Amino acid sequence: MMRNLYLIARIADTRVALRSRAINSVVTVGTPVEVPAAPPHVAGLFALRSRVFTLIDPHVVVGLPAAPVSPGQRVIVVDVAEHGYALIADEIEDVCFIDAPETRITGKLLPGWARVADALIEYQGASLLVVDPSNFITLPTLKAA
Amino acid sequence: MDDLLNDFLAETAEILAEAGGAIIAWEADPADRAQLDAIFRLVHTIKGSSGFLTLPRVTALSHAAEDALDQVRRGNRPANAALVTGVLGILDRLGELCAALGRDGVEPAGDDGDAIGALSDQGPPPDIAVDSSGASPRRDEDLTADLQSWRSIRVPLPLLDSVMTGVTDIVLARNEFARMLRESGANPAVIASFDRLSTSIAGMRQSVSQMRMQRIDKLFSPLPRIVRDLARDMGKKIAFQTSGGEVELDREMMENIRDPLIHIVRNAIDHGVEPFEERVAAGKDITATIAVSARQSGNQIEIEIRDDGRGLSPDALMAKAIASRILTATEARALSPREKLDLIFRPGFSTAAQVTSVSGRGVGMDIVKANVEKIGGVVELRNDEGRGLTILLRVPMTLTIISGLMVRAAGQYFAIPRGAVREILLESGDTVRIDRVGGGELATVRGEQYPLLRLETVLGRGRDHGDDVDDRALVIVRPGQGQSYALSVAAIHDHEELVIKPAAPMIMATGLYAGTTLPDNGRPVLLLDVQGLLAAAAIDASEAGRSRDLSAEADVEADAARNAVQLLLFRDMNARVRGVRLSVIERVEEVPASAIFESAGRIQARIGEDIFPVHAAALPDGNEAFKLLRLYDGNAILCYPIAEVVDIVRLPDMVQPSAAPGLIAGVVLIGGDPVELIDPFWLMEQYGAGAATPAARQPLCRLADDHDGWGENFLAPILRGAGYRVLAGADTSEEAPDVLLCIAEGGEDCRVDGDEVPVIRLRASVAAAGPDDESVYRYDRQALFDALRSRVGGHAA
Repeated sequence: MMRNLYLIARIADTRVALRSRAINSVVTVGTPVEVPAAPPHVAGLFALRSRVFTLIDPHVVVGLPAAPVSPGQRVIVVDVAEHGYALIADEIEDVCFIDAPETRITGKLLPGWARVADALIEYQGASLLVVDPSNFITLPTLKAA
Repeated sequence: MDDLLNDFLAETAEILAEAGGAIIAWEADPADRAQLDAIFRLVHTIKGSSGFLTLPRVTALSHAAEDALDQVRRGNRPANAALVTGVLGILDRLGELCAALGRDGVEPAGDDGDAIGALSDQGPPPDIAVDSSGASPRRDEDLTADLQSWRSIRVPLPLLDSVMTGVTDIVLARNEFARMLRESGANPAVIASFDRLSTSIAGMRQSVSQMRMQRIDKLFSPLPRIVRDLARDMGKKIAFQTSGGEVELDREMMENIRDPLIHIVRNAIDHGVEPFEERVAAGKDITATIAVSARQSGNQIEIEIRDDGRGLSPDALMAKAIASRILTATEARALSPREKLDLIFRPGFSTAAQVTSVSGRGVGMDIVKANVEKIGGVVELRNDEGRGLTILLRVPMTLTIISGLMVRAAGQYFAIPRGAVREILLESGDTVRIDRVGGGELATVRGEQYPLLRLETVLGRGRDHGDDVDDRALVIVRPGQGQSYALSVAAIHDHEELVIKPAAPMIMATGLYAGTTLPDNGRPVLLLDVQGLLAAAAIDASEAGRSRDLSAEADVEADAARNAVQLLLFRDMNARVRGVRLSVIERVEEVPASAIFESAGRIQARIGEDIFPVHAAALPDGNEAFKLLRLYDGNAILCYPIAEVVDIVRLPDMVQPSAAPGLIAGVVLIGGDPVELIDPFWLMEQYGAGAATPAARQPLCRLADDHDGWGENFLAPILRGAGYRVLAGADTSEEAPDVLLCIAEGGEDCRVDGDEVPVIRLRASVAAAGPDDESVYRYDRQALFDALRSRVGGHAA
């Protein structure tokens, strides 16, 4: 069941379970091309297999300072509304099926995370935020940074 | 079977569109046999294909039309409006049937007796048996012609689009591969073989682009029909012409300008072309002309829609705009004529006094403009009020691959669509001047001013330290009609053919970028939105505004020039350039050499019926005609011979006066050269005496008691010469004399009106009769004139 397939990764300093439906691949990128005057969470553009992708910095989306993109940075490539994006990932852990149900978020999150997190899920003895990657992109842009 | 049906439908739709246009053309010129044959062939093709597919209604309809046309070809039937309407009716019915076929896959049941009947109204009823046998030889040859013209295959559009996308991806992949090859330092053999691949890919891309191109004829073909029907509905006579149908345009662009084009043509018929009476009153041909033409100019296609109707009235547009509350009266007053015209592009604007069923459907010129601009085109108006309106659509030939100018700023590359670039200059060049004014910057290029945008500033970036100031360049950008600005960039890189893809929505939302592209180096490049940059910089780049400023400046200058003094520069007979105040010149006369003569020690010129003094020391040599400046001081005229007029300039404030009064009043510098200034005062002074005063009011002298004719013969000529009119004894006149000259002493006439009119008495003796004697000795010229002057005033000294 695709619905239960998650990508476990550290993005924006937080371990999360990303719903895999929209995830295309995980790749490494070189130095992106900057987009002057773009919203702060746009970290730049890069080309992959003759397509241009927009690099998104989840740090900024959740209200943290922007993280510099290092060469060989691993990114999570997603397709949202026919456009290609890539989320900067601090660390990619695993892709796995989780049978546990998604549960309502209990407790108070940071405002940035509250905007993007959909649910909680139990994975290997820890509670992870369930995040849809498209939440990082389609969010109404913020006052952050 | 389905494929066959689809092919048939696609082909028929095309034929119907083409046939409609052809029939209108043929109606205009029924003698055009070639056109008739073409229509016949088209209808015949439909009939043939439909028979194959067993579509009885289509077959019957096309057969009837074919038949009627064949009758005309054989001369059995005249080509008239009824026939044309009938054939058009059949084409319409065929169109409906095809639409139904496409929808349901089967021919709907129905009766076409009405459409066929309408066709056979005038002629003999079509006799199928006779006709088919009689016409067969001709048809064979027609069919051969058909095969010739249909040597093409049909490809579904989505397939074509996917080929295009595929090729685009191949090009991008090639670029990436090329970069990797370079970086890996591959051996020359590999590179050579890659280059071969690369070349064929480039060729393929070219061919695919061409595959997507279609003749613009396709766009024009439905127009004659629209014009004909609309003109008939509205009771107008319109001659419709198209030209440039062979120009090719990307299919996608074509789709995008179809509706704007039709809308403009409808507008021209509805609003542009006047009713008969108005056309007659305006002295125009009753038949209006609407011409649509296309031409390719570089990478762009220009489509011109011209009518000879009433044109646009800026003031009417303004009134309309105010009435529909698009703008306030105050705003309206501030508009330039050009901006008033542009009001028709405002949303909610409709020029017709009443909304008509034809064009007043809420689809306005604003939609037209928006649609055309969406595909990177511009709409231009050329208005000739009262005589017609021309609307120019300028669109890029193709959308996906554009020619881009790569520029550098803030350490990275950006692309600018080449179509919007008017000129590229080095910032340090001689022709460029950059001024900082009130925190803003403006660039003056050869006298033209542009608002200056620094790309780094607009993008909110600092300058890159690696950039050389000497490399900085100005790109004069023309984002749309009537707008331009100078974009300052760190350096110009090169031109490249770029495959443009849309950028992510949040990047597009910045308004600064029109898309992304991937050049050969594999690093994405942003395509700048030249219009968006303007908005971001909040700069008004409208040339109209600027030219208004310029014209205001020009007005001020003109005012200054009027208030100051204009100087006429001329080359005199000795080839020296001299100047004279323009205001003293009445006009420049060109006279033959024979009109100049010498008399009484003076050079004179005969111009028309008058004789004027000429400022010249001697008669001019030669027989050529030459020019005379007519100097006029309000009374007298003096001619000054010149070789030619050089120019009219403003008299500089600095005049170096000459030491002594004379012909030359002083010297001024005009364009760095000294120019002698003629002194009209001195000139007039020289020639003023005795000069004729043709224009001024001349006092009337009545000679009283001139019994012996002395007054008439001796006195009158010198009086006339001095500028008086003379009424001798015999003449009678309604006009009361200004002065009475009593010639015979003690004459009776003088006493008659002695009180009302000043009287000068002349005496024959030199000596006065006594101390109270106010009479004047009749040969004392000076005393006589003094007396005249003191009584009535006069010009002659």
